[in-house]
Amino acid sequence: MIRLTVNGVEHTLDVEGDTPLLWVVRDVLGLKGSKFGCGAGLCGACTMHLNGQPIRTCIMPLSAVAGQNITTIEGLSPANATPQQLTPVQQAWLELNVPQCGYCQSGQIMAATALLASNPNPSDADIDNAMSGNICRCGTYPRIRSAIHKAAGMMSAAVSHPQAARNGELFSEVTLPQATNSEELSHG
Amino acid sequence: MDKSLRTSTYTNTGLSRRSFLKASALSSGGLLLSVALPGCTAIGMKNQGMVSAGEWQSNAWLRIDTDNRITFILDRVEMGQGTYTGLVTLLAEELEVDPALVQVEFAGVGSAYDNPLYKLQITGGSTSVASSFKRIRLAGASAREMLKQAAAQVWALENTSTLHCDNGQVIHSNGKTLSYGELASIAATFAVPEDTALKSPDEYRYIGKYNKRLDALQKVTGQAVYGVDVELPGMLYAVISRAPAFGGTVKNLDSSAAKAASGVVDVFPLKAAGRSGVAVVARSYWQARKAQQLLQIEWQTPEVAPSSDAIFAQYARDLDNEDGEQVRDDGDFDAAAEQAASTLTAEYQLPYLAHATLEPQNCVVKADADGMEVWAPTQSASMARVAAGKHSRYSLDDIVIHTTWIGGGFGRRILQDYVAECAVIADRLQQPVKLIWNREEDTAHDWYRPASLHRLQATIGADGKASGWQHRIAHPKVFEWFVGDAAPAQYPFMPKLMFPMLAGAGKLGEGILAPKDSSGYEGANDVPYALGNIDVRFIHSEPGVPVGYWRSVGFSHNGFVTESFIDELAHQQKQDPLNFRLELLAQHPRAQSLLRRVAQLADWGRPLPGCHQGVAIHKSFNTWVAQIADVQVEGKTFSVKRVVCAVDCGQAVNPDMIRAQMEGGINFALTAALYGNITLKDGAVQQSNFHDYALLRMPEAPQIVVDIADNQYDPTGVGEPGVPPLAPAVANALFAATGQRLRRLPLQLA
Repeated sequence: MIRLTVNGVEHTLDVEGDTPLLWVVRDVLGLKGSKFGCGAGLCGACTMHLNGQPIRTCIMPLSAVAGQNITTIEGLSPANATPQQLTPVQQAWLELNVPQCGYCQSGQIMAATALLASNPNPSDADIDNAMSGNICRCGTYPRIRSAIHKAAGMMSAAVSHPQAARNGELFSEVTLPQATNSEELSHG
Repeated sequence: MDKSLRTSTYTNTGLSRRSFLKASALSSGGLLLSVALPGCTAIGMKNQGMVSAGEWQSNAWLRIDTDNRITFILDRVEMGQGTYTGLVTLLAEELEVDPALVQVEFAGVGSAYDNPLYKLQITGGSTSVASSFKRIRLAGASAREMLKQAAAQVWALENTSTLHCDNGQVIHSNGKTLSYGELASIAATFAVPEDTALKSPDEYRYIGKYNKRLDALQKVTGQAVYGVDVELPGMLYAVISRAPAFGGTVKNLDSSAAKAASGVVDVFPLKAAGRSGVAVVARSYWQARKAQQLLQIEWQTPEVAPSSDAIFAQYARDLDNEDGEQVRDDGDFDAAAEQAASTLTAEYQLPYLAHATLEPQNCVVKADADGMEVWAPTQSASMARVAAGKHSRYSLDDIVIHTTWIGGGFGRRILQDYVAECAVIADRLQQPVKLIWNREEDTAHDWYRPASLHRLQATIGADGKASGWQHRIAHPKVFEWFVGDAAPAQYPFMPKLMFPMLAGAGKLGEGILAPKDSSGYEGANDVPYALGNIDVRFIHSEPGVPVGYWRSVGFSHNGFVTESFIDELAHQQKQDPLNFRLELLAQHPRAQSLLRRVAQLADWGRPLPGCHQGVAIHKSFNTWVAQIADVQVEGKTFSVKRVVCAVDCGQAVNPDMIRAQMEGGINFALTAALYGNITLKDGAVQQSNFHDYALLRMPEAPQIVVDIADNQYDPTGVGEPGVPPLAPAVANALFAATGQRLRRLPLQLA
């Protein structure tokens, strides 16, 4: 028997200890939001948080995380959440229309959430570093980058204006990437 | 702009509404409007399949229930390309409802919404919005008029002239309202009106403006159910070890250790969709994977087991020895060659490419005495049913296909091998089974973008000007790998024993019963430049490697070749590559204006600091895309800093969806330009996972600027056309930076 806490709920599991955490969470606990992409820790689709740190669960044996706290994409916001109940990272993803096929986005959001928890105002280079382990085959990288900056802005605004954040006011403004005019393009 | 084209977007074009719309009442009350949408094209078989469609076939359904629920049931699938949002936007525009209030369901095949004479349906070819632009709006408009007629009846009005619709309600000029739900049952008693006018573009509320992605919420919360997420009670898990070489078979199998492993239910050899292997079925996925490691298999290598070098040598031999099929013949190229003062020749080589969808292939099948049910992330439910039928004891009538969200398609899921395999396993076990491929299996057993070899020759006349263009292409026929399931999918009423005959007839019927397979030469035979004497030839060369449709198909290689070689010609002529193209595109004003736009946005001639620029323009799926890449070279490495992209896809339906598809297409193509290379040794693919088949990552992703031409031509495809211009734009920038002309992909500086 192996004990594990997932999204705040403690489980006692009768599963072989070498089973990767991903398959335990998906097939035993029934939380399917975390995805299988490579089975080798190369793509990040399976990313969850172990005590707040992003980990590759497709290569993490259950026995190695026994007794620990795991958070999955389902643990970020309530079930059937309205847009206002989402985390700033999820809100930014939604408002910038980040997902295409969407398969990698649980992992991307978990990686971005961990980044912003440790670095509330990341530079582009910080984002490159933190997100380089998460592949998006649809190529949504420019929007992921914009969404991380946007979420960072929402979170810092929420710190300085907590009441407005609770009312969802900070998250209501939809800004979509617009066609850029030539004069707006940077030439360094 | 041409006025006749402008008006054609909103006047009735002679299409009789009764030919594709039917109204009926729901048994629960409410209105059901059945719609026949044109099929997806550009993948071998055109709209109406191999036989002419006489009978009426619905494949989309608008349902308005008495509780005001509005549901749009579609046979198209959502792979990330935004079809779901695009089609709902068209419907909502005329129905006068917020698109976010329309629920979409996937129709599948064999479901309540299926038509017994259903023909081949594929989501591919960047056609969903383009092919349905008029019909879906007419469906929405017709439903709206029927709801108004129902309101007129309730309010005892002589006609509907005092009524209008807004926000899901019919509104009387006196202020009274009735909701669509209240009126749906009455509306169902009226015939579909014949003379409903569509809105003119200046009346659009959503088309060209609606930028909310309707599937985003469930994709940022992990709630969207993909094929790999489907779960049934009592479900078992299967994995398959496949022969490494294509056409290989099981020579010897010792499965005793695997059978004895924990949780294992069954181990057995199988053959499905042309591939031999050994299936391991267990109570959990991980148990199946562990037992798979214990299999002792000796493989019989097939007689034909090519390696990459041999394949390109075969292409070269065929180019040396064969005239091939002429697919473009303008003027007299041979005469131009005889009279030429000089010629420019080049050979281009492109590799096999895997699709590498992030969701590996998978399928869930439940087979029992009642029939077979299949859940699959497939781009073609009708072909999935044929695959399941061919590989089981069930007849097509007893097979139901459910489609799911798809974790990337790019053409991979037009083929149905994962369905075939899982059907074999479930048919044998008579228990629900989920088959999951791992990444290594997915990379090594794809239906690849074909490798190709190209020889080009441009002639320069005595006046020093370009006088002719010849392009000869050695490439297999993708159609021949696809027709096995596609041909029978058009005749689902035929007994299964006829399937091989239908597949054979499909092969023979290429160009007669079915359109010609242009996958080798599309984008080459329609080279747009006014070069006078043009000769394009397709040399059919078949190495025996499974090939399929890969995002932008033939345009993916011919875009690179033609746009690189025209750049070579520009430099030979000592002309600016952009101006040279502009001069030769006088017959294509939309292309010219797009090139001018992209040049303006990218500040052509003034690269970003430390960068060099390259330009390319290519038309695919009726959409022109021009791109300028700013590339920085450091030694033998380079990085793409920015791509400016201008697209002309006619009337934009969801502008932000178009921008997203251009961004995605550019990054997809950049993966191919930087890394994509599937190689073979003794008939087996040498790549396995993302360490040796690399995909683009965040630090390599360039800044992307997208500009959408503002016009009201009928919309054209956006899912694929962003791909072809990228690799040549980057290669042309590398030439500008280094003087090295790179004629092979992936791009490697010497």
